[in-house]
Amino acid sequence: MKTCQVSVQLEHLSKRFGETLALDIDNFNIHAGDVLGLVGNNGAGKTTLFRLMLDLLQPTTGSATFVADGVGYHTAKCEDWKAFTGAYIDSGFLIDYLTPDEYFSFIAKVNGLPADEVQSVLNRYTDFMSGEVVGQNKLIRNLSAGNKQKVGIVAALLHSPSLLILDEPFNFLDPSSQIAMKYMLEDYNRQTGATIIVSSHNLTHTLDICSRVALLEHGHIIKDYQKSDTDMIAEIENYFEGSVHHESVGTTE
Amino acid sequence: MKLQQAHLLYRLISKNQRLAEKRHPMFDKNRVMKVFTYIMAAFWACYLIFFGCMFGSVLSDASVETCDIINSCFIFFMILDFFMRFAMQETPAHEVKPYKLMPVPVNFLMDVFLVRIGLKVYNLIWLFFFVPFGILSVALLPYFGIWAFVGYMLGVWLMFVLNSYGYLFWRTLINQHLLYIILPIAAYAALVVFGMITGSWLFDGSMRFMRGFIDWNPLSFLAVLAAIVAMFFINRWFQKHYIYRELSRVERVKKVKSTEMSYLNRFGVIGEYLKLEIKSVIRNNVIRKQYLIGLSCTVMLSLLCAFTPAYDSGFMHVFICVYCFAALGIIMLTNVMGVEGNYIDGLMSRKESVLALLKAKYYFHCVMMLVPALIMITPAVTGKFSVIELLGCLMFTPGCIFPFLFIMAIYNNTTLDLMSKMTQRSSNTKAQMLVSFASMFVPMGLMYALVSLLGNNMAGLVMLVLGIIGTVCNPLWLKLIYKHFMIHRYENMSSFRSTRAS
Repeated sequence: MKTCQVSVQLEHLSKRFGETLALDIDNFNIHAGDVLGLVGNNGAGKTTLFRLMLDLLQPTTGSATFVADGVGYHTAKCEDWKAFTGAYIDSGFLIDYLTPDEYFSFIAKVNGLPADEVQSVLNRYTDFMSGEVVGQNKLIRNLSAGNKQKVGIVAALLHSPSLLILDEPFNFLDPSSQIAMKYMLEDYNRQTGATIIVSSHNLTHTLDICSRVALLEHGHIIKDYQKSDTDMIAEIENYFEGSVHHESVGTTE
Repeated sequence: MKLQQAHLLYRLISKNQRLAEKRHPMFDKNRVMKVFTYIMAAFWACYLIFFGCMFGSVLSDASVETCDIINSCFIFFMILDFFMRFAMQETPAHEVKPYKLMPVPVNFLMDVFLVRIGLKVYNLIWLFFFVPFGILSVALLPYFGIWAFVGYMLGVWLMFVLNSYGYLFWRTLINQHLLYIILPIAAYAALVVFGMITGSWLFDGSMRFMRGFIDWNPLSFLAVLAAIVAMFFINRWFQKHYIYRELSRVERVKKVKSTEMSYLNRFGVIGEYLKLEIKSVIRNNVIRKQYLIGLSCTVMLSLLCAFTPAYDSGFMHVFICVYCFAALGIIMLTNVMGVEGNYIDGLMSRKESVLALLKAKYYFHCVMMLVPALIMITPAVTGKFSVIELLGCLMFTPGCIFPFLFIMAIYNNTTLDLMSKMTQRSSNTKAQMLVSFASMFVPMGLMYALVSLLGNNMAGLVMLVLGIIGTVCNPLWLKLIYKHFMIHRYENMSSFRSTRAS
């Protein structure tokens, strides 16, 4: 697997939907090889951030730049970064009238992956797919939500991207698949040195795999933890417990 | 259920239905379309009023009563109304679903929805014709008078209410399987054919029955009311049964054989998008229907052109010939990108994938032109069309008509529900409508100018040259369209997401 070193620079990135400020990040850098976890409650701006980074949404201000081997790619101004980026946000990434096999073949070919390599790449994710995806002769639209999620994640990994962006990847997956994915992402990062950014509501898995965790609240990154920070887990758990306590007190009052 | 409670629930459900229409995601962007629809409705109303006045006055010299002439043909109004309802009226199944788990009796729910269908304003639309017609042919005649006119209008309205329940019944069946459409067509066709062949009983019967309304004959009113009540209860049972089937239906997942289509591999990435195009036609209900309709139009037009004397001269000769080649493209490409709206995020995550997709679509539609081209060989051989004329028409389509249709890729931003059972309602924006009209009428205008100025053969030659230039330049104009697509990408992606079915 040949990959490049990709870092991400977010500068004055903001997004407003009408009067609502969905995201406002002044400056934030994600270093090459980082596994960054984005955590935050619903509406914190995680998906908006991913869409802005992937040029799927127009920023109100600012920019996202992917720097690959020293060359910067402003994501809204060119398309070259797409070659080393893999992403899965939701089913809007899936061509649901194909079977998973056809979809993988399609993704491989449009990414220039030789046909003989596709099977060997898919073999790496056999545990994760647990025999329910490939060779089933079902259209993607007829798969369960969990298996659709697996198809999307494997497709994002198929061309061995140097930057992998996954939004809520643990959603819809059964516990075994969640654990399989956790190992899969760890292995992928270790073997390729790829930069991985995941958002999740599953704190346990996120904290397990991430070398760095950013806490989002109402569109702002309010805390940026390194795994080496001894109090990271306690602080994050306290934050979410605090918001529950705050809400319940508010309700009582 | 107490009357007061029933009334309250009726008002509540009615309000929810109005809100559902008002708060539809397409409401805001649809404003222009709505205005356009109102203008078209006003135009249609004027049209009906005009015909109502015309028939009311023109037929007044006939030996039989004017109203009797129209009344004898009332079946044709019913047929027209029935088929127009495909664009206007839906089954209540999906509207009833949200209330199924609420403590409201199902029969009551059904009654509410069925009563609302009966009372829809749409059932009054034909009165635009019958009111002026009735004034001239009934109200103003001293032996009929106002009271007869009121009875006539009431009867006409009841007939269309009956038609709406009839339509609802068939539409529910058609939703189960498209082939059920044959039944109402066959029923109406049989009625008309046998009514004409075996004497004039249909016309006589229709005339007497409708005259019953004018004369306030209780038998006519009782008959139509009985039919309405019968259809009401049939629909009530049928819809209830249908909703249970909908709710308890276990989706039968069909096994699909993965197909490689390796013969397309030689075209590289474009070949992959060509495979997508073919699979999209094969596996998606809506696209398959569009394709079959387009192909049927193409074959019918081509056969008409090739083997009948219709459109043998002048502008129409060239026009129909061009549209033999273009029909499929026009039907499918006016919605270009609508399918891709379902997976637009995936497409946009890969470099220039939309450009490759547009190229694949272009080549697909060019290849599809082989069907009319094969049929049109016969008229070329028999001399009905000159070779230049035919080649001009053939090349004009990919070189001049397709570029206009592909411009829609920049403006189309409504996702097509691929598995929808019926054609979706149009929801175009101002820009989409303008481009859509331009894509249809600019090539037509150009052809008209050429034929008028140069005659058929010379026009064919010019069209051939223009067509070859446009075809050869396809990489250029497709790239240009792609550039503009990218300029509009944020707006389009956002709209595609908001109009996606799930």
